[in-house]
Amino acid sequence: MLSMLSAKVQILHKPFVCDKHFTIFVDQLNGMILTELTLDPPEGIVAGPVSEDNFFEWEALIAGPEGTCFEGGVFPARLVFPPDYPLSPPKMKFTCDMFHPNIFSDGRVCISILHAPGDDPLGYELSAERWSPVQSVEKILLSVVSMLAEPNDESGANVDAAIMWRERREEFNSIARRLVRKTLGLPT
Amino acid sequence: MDSFKKNDGNRDELIIQQQRDIEKEISDSTPLVGEQLPLTCLWAEYNGDDVFTAKIQDLAKKYKFIRRTRPDGNCFFRAFAYSYMEYLISNNSAYKEFQKLAEDSKDKLVELGFPSFTLEDFHETFMEVIRRVSPDNPGGYNKVQSELHKIFNEQGYSDYVVVYLRLITSGKLQEEAEFYQNFIEGDFTIEEFRHQEVEPMFKESDHIHIIALCAALGAGVRVEYLDRGEGCIVKAHDFPEGTEPTIYLIYRPGHYDILYPN
Repeated sequence: MLSMLSAKVQILHKPFVCDKHFTIFVDQLNGMILTELTLDPPEGIVAGPVSEDNFFEWEALIAGPEGTCFEGGVFPARLVFPPDYPLSPPKMKFTCDMFHPNIFSDGRVCISILHAPGDDPLGYELSAERWSPVQSVEKILLSVVSMLAEPNDESGANVDAAIMWRERREEFNSIARRLVRKTLGLPT
Repeated sequence: MDSFKKNDGNRDELIIQQQRDIEKEISDSTPLVGEQLPLTCLWAEYNGDDVFTAKIQDLAKKYKFIRRTRPDGNCFFRAFAYSYMEYLISNNSAYKEFQKLAEDSKDKLVELGFPSFTLEDFHETFMEVIRRVSPDNPGGYNKVQSELHKIFNEQGYSDYVVVYLRLITSGKLQEEAEFYQNFIEGDFTIEEFRHQEVEPMFKESDHIHIIALCAALGAGVRVEYLDRGEGCIVKAHDFPEGTEPTIYLIYRPGHYDILYPN
């Protein structure tokens, strides 16, 4: 499991360590997006630009949090940054099958930190953490990890998942475990 | 189940997209900061309305010019920054003092709990803007003024200046939370108010933003209120009260522009 994750880390991080040209390009873009995560990525998360030609699209791999029904899974996602990042937040979408109260059936992640105040698709609570220019990719990914560990069934992006999580937890857990096996390429 | 159906993500996306399109239409048709225009150009906007005609006449006794800013929710911060920097480039000692204050502000904000990693980017750009409009730069006032105008109309720089002033404002609210809590309406805590109404871009400013920003920078601003209210005199308010203003703004419900006294 771990070796799989670190193999991916190397692929994703390769441009940062070995390509000078890349650094020059980063400077032109203010360096903001690119340097963020690579300095000190939180445990269980890797992320980086998909290619050297497009820094506004990132791939992330998120390890399912320990002690939850998503434990053991490695979930791939895409982050798409708007041209005015970090004034506006990126969008995030899982590219694997997901079944979770706060993830739309097409994979889009719906949590408060991905929205500025006022931009309120699911009527988040006032105190919920929102996007602002001092937030970072790291904060988003950490929020996504806590979302996996503790779904918010008050703002259901996937209603079926929200109801099942609330009322038939065992069934929800077994679907989650199946998704975990799927991300590892194991028979479900 | 009905309440769940409302949560259709795609419909929400469409609404948000439409809002973005409207915002884009506004921004494409108005520069971030416009040229200096005679104050009496305001008459054209009010179509001979008696109340406004009289009030604009009153205002014209004190102010010669107006400079419009883009109505994008950032107008107070952008107008404030532009007007203050215009003052600073004509006042070398005030400029030096401000440069020092701005330089030191980053460490202060980090102490107040802002993440230094993301803060740094905004601070660096802010300092670069200040350097580029130094009164010591060759070419004198006119050259520096035109540089200022150019920078403020470059979206990247202009918005980063707005972000940094928002952070300074937020920092002041945090630093004196007990005092500012009294000004906050509704159930907001200072913490919520800062994150919801101050730090994010495009959020409009209220008196509390003005008071906190002035206090943080030691600057004075006079706001002239042009509205439908009684009488034919435009009411002004100084922030902080009793301070000699260096920044003059006109407020019309929902929007700030820059004024130039005679």
